[in-house]
Amino acid sequence: MNEIWQGLLEAIKLIVSLDPEILEISGRSLWIALSSCLLASVICLPIGGLIHFQRFAGKRTLISLIQTFYSIPTVVIGLFVFVLLSRTGPLGGFNLLFTPTAMIIGQMLLVIPIVLGLTISALSGIDKVIPDTARSLGAGSFQTAVVVLKEARFAVTAAMIMAFSRAISEVGLALIVGGNIKGFTRVITTTISLETAKGDLELALALGIILMFIALVINLVLNQLQTR
Amino acid sequence: MPLIETVDLCQKYNGHDVLKKIALQVEPGEVLSLIGPTGAGKTTLLRLLDLLDTPTSGRIYFAGTEVTRSGKTRSETRRKMAFVLQKPVVFNASVYDNVAYGLKWRGITRNELYQRVSGILETVSLSALRDRNARTLSGGEIQRIAIARAIALEPELLLLDEPTANLDPISISRIEKLIANIIHQHKTTIIMTTHDMRQGQRLPNKVAVLINGEILQTGSSRDIFTSPHNQEIAEFVGTENIINGVITTSEEDLVTINTSGKIIEAIADYPVGEEVCACIRPEDITLANSQAPSSARNSYAGKIMQVVPIGPLCRIEIDCDFSLFALVTGRSVEELDLVRGKTIYATFKATAIHIIRRER
Amino acid sequence: MKRLIYYSASLFVILGMITSSIGCTATRLKVATTTSLYDTGLWSHLEPMFEEKYKVELDVIHAGTGIALEYGKRGDVDVITVHDKAAEEKFITDGYGVQRVPFAYNYFLIVGPPSDPADIKGLSSEEAFKKLMATSDGIFVSRGDNSGTHTKEKAVWENAGFDYETVRKAGAWYIEGGKGMGPTLQMANEKKAYTLTDMGTFATYKSKLQLVPTVAKGSTLLNVYSAIAVNPAKVPGVNMDTANNLISFLASPEIQKFIGNYGIQEYGIQLFIPSAGVKSTQ
Repeated sequence: MNEIWQGLLEAIKLIVSLDPEILEISGRSLWIALSSCLLASVICLPIGGLIHFQRFAGKRTLISLIQTFYSIPTVVIGLFVFVLLSRTGPLGGFNLLFTPTAMIIGQMLLVIPIVLGLTISALSGIDKVIPDTARSLGAGSFQTAVVVLKEARFAVTAAMIMAFSRAISEVGLALIVGGNIKGFTRVITTTISLETAKGDLELALALGIILMFIALVINLVLNQLQTR
Repeated sequence: MPLIETVDLCQKYNGHDVLKKIALQVEPGEVLSLIGPTGAGKTTLLRLLDLLDTPTSGRIYFAGTEVTRSGKTRSETRRKMAFVLQKPVVFNASVYDNVAYGLKWRGITRNELYQRVSGILETVSLSALRDRNARTLSGGEIQRIAIARAIALEPELLLLDEPTANLDPISISRIEKLIANIIHQHKTTIIMTTHDMRQGQRLPNKVAVLINGEILQTGSSRDIFTSPHNQEIAEFVGTENIINGVITTSEEDLVTINTSGKIIEAIADYPVGEEVCACIRPEDITLANSQAPSSARNSYAGKIMQVVPIGPLCRIEIDCDFSLFALVTGRSVEELDLVRGKTIYATFKATAIHIIRRER
Repeated sequence: MKRLIYYSASLFVILGMITSSIGCTATRLKVATTTSLYDTGLWSHLEPMFEEKYKVELDVIHAGTGIALEYGKRGDVDVITVHDKAAEEKFITDGYGVQRVPFAYNYFLIVGPPSDPADIKGLSSEEAFKKLMATSDGIFVSRGDNSGTHTKEKAVWENAGFDYETVRKAGAWYIEGGKGMGPTLQMANEKKAYTLTDMGTFATYKSKLQLVPTVAKGSTLLNVYSAIAVNPAKVPGVNMDTANNLISFLASPEIQKFIGNYGIQEYGIQLFIPSAGVKSTQ
């Protein structure tokens, strides 16, 4: 129990003193998680709209499949991206392994099912009359989709918060494709894992608390945005 | 040239015919009311006219151009129309934005947008609520927004689906005034549906009766209310007295009909032996305590079975071997002392009777 | 306002993607190092020194020896610093590595509870393992993860005359942790068990543990760290020149001295003995 108190104290100390290394690591965690979520959203919102608005055979199965991928282990995605980006892998030529870009790609793949699946549920929660109303007022297909997405913005924001939470808290993928390189690909979770291995449990716990703090701030910002 | 015209428009839904060979022509500036019971296919027809759905077969012409199926013409044509759906939903945005949406999609400049929306909000008396989230408003206010955002588009054709359904009487009269205003000021061509046949009578100048997916009669509201083409229409437009009988004599537009042994005289031209219905509107029946010598040929003694007040009027059910409903003022009830069990004389003119051939 | 936020966010992402892609051009040298070298903090001292001297970004990726060798084979790193002689030699015979350059060594330790329930203190590593097997009096926590340390443990079992597969099934006293060195030490500490550890990790953890060094003798326990540059002839695209710079750097007298002194101040023991130029018997 003592470690937890020590961790809390350490966290406060690190936050208050604006420790430059912690700031850098936290900033990177935030940036990588946000980028991957934004990219995932950019990809998933249109695709989610497409899946929702189109009628086709196997739609239910596809949605179940997407939802199954919610629970894919981060390590598995990590290994997949590793094999893909490794120098001898199919995308080895881009020289992306052990870079933040690789981590963004990995986390993006990790959260795509979440954003996609939750976007589809968000859209199906919207009154069926909304798209008809939009079309009757002269909206084209794209404008209609935008209107429906706007109507679903609360649920879509919730999807993004979920995705962000999963991205910023995962460690397996970040370790495998990022390599935990100091000053380059080291993020909060990989630091926690390293500090645990090194036996500095207080620092590890403190970093965990800082991560929660960042998540809190981001959730507040996103919630603020959606209520506007 | 009609603004909108349909030719043999059919819509099937799960193998069931919702619309059967609809032929409709609406001239520019015309106001058409589609009346018919719930489930008759009114909404389906409006959705086809607004090109939201594609018909199973048949064609739609807008200002002379066929627009039934081609995707591009459909969306272009849709922008010349505005459709207020039966269940009005507003977007989760301010009242102002709700009205502005359709104009934004048409790429209207910011300045013009502001002016148009403000003007429309003034028209529908919603200026005070412009910044409120539209979701927080009452049913009547939401319907006004729905109409406002439609007329803001200045459409060539305005489609209204049951614009006053599920509203309170005050909201209904406001909306009706608003529609009357649109008709009056903008000369917009309007097609509206209603299951409230009185509204059909109050507002438009042309009425089409849609029952079971078929347009059974089109004409002025007066035509339809006084001379329904068949029993179904008669029942729908509120002809309460529909009496079955057989033509016994027929000469020079005057026929006599035998019904339950009683003879009714009417102005009509049907051959002897024809099975018909005699339709008499309850307000055309006069009641008296004694058999008055009058020009009316049809006068029957009967026993009052029931007296039911309806607003300022009273509906009297009389048994004179056939059942007859009469509508009289409350004052008449007092003066004539119309009570249950009393014998009374019911009289109606031969010209007040509308004869329909009975269908087998 | 909202639109502005969305636009700036997208711009931020795009810029981020571009800069991070630029950041990973050929000027970066990647080295995969065994965890025990990293967790002692040695690399965090060496890294800035090297970067300063050669004006190159050095990326240090810490992984078990097995994974580090795999990174090398795939060309994902340019240099590996590991401690598993047999695997290293195979790496070179297979053509992946150019030359094995030992630059430091120390000894593995068998640590255990001060009470020493199996009474193995002072024995050689092989004798100690034989006794553990015979008596089952002590619990032994194995890394069980094919790391260099684990390979070393297997070698001791083989030298003691046991087939490792039978050891794994020997009984409840033999535990495969499947964790890194630090957590394995903590597990041994909780279970009052013995475990085989490298000296560096034990030194950093010592203050948190009740475990004491029990066996530190035996040539099998010698732990040699060597650096290998990945062979560009076999694995195209690796940065041989800069890799050789790193190896020369590690073998340079100045750095050798630094390695020799590392940890004395902080942990009170010498963690690594410099070995560059010394002809290793191992």
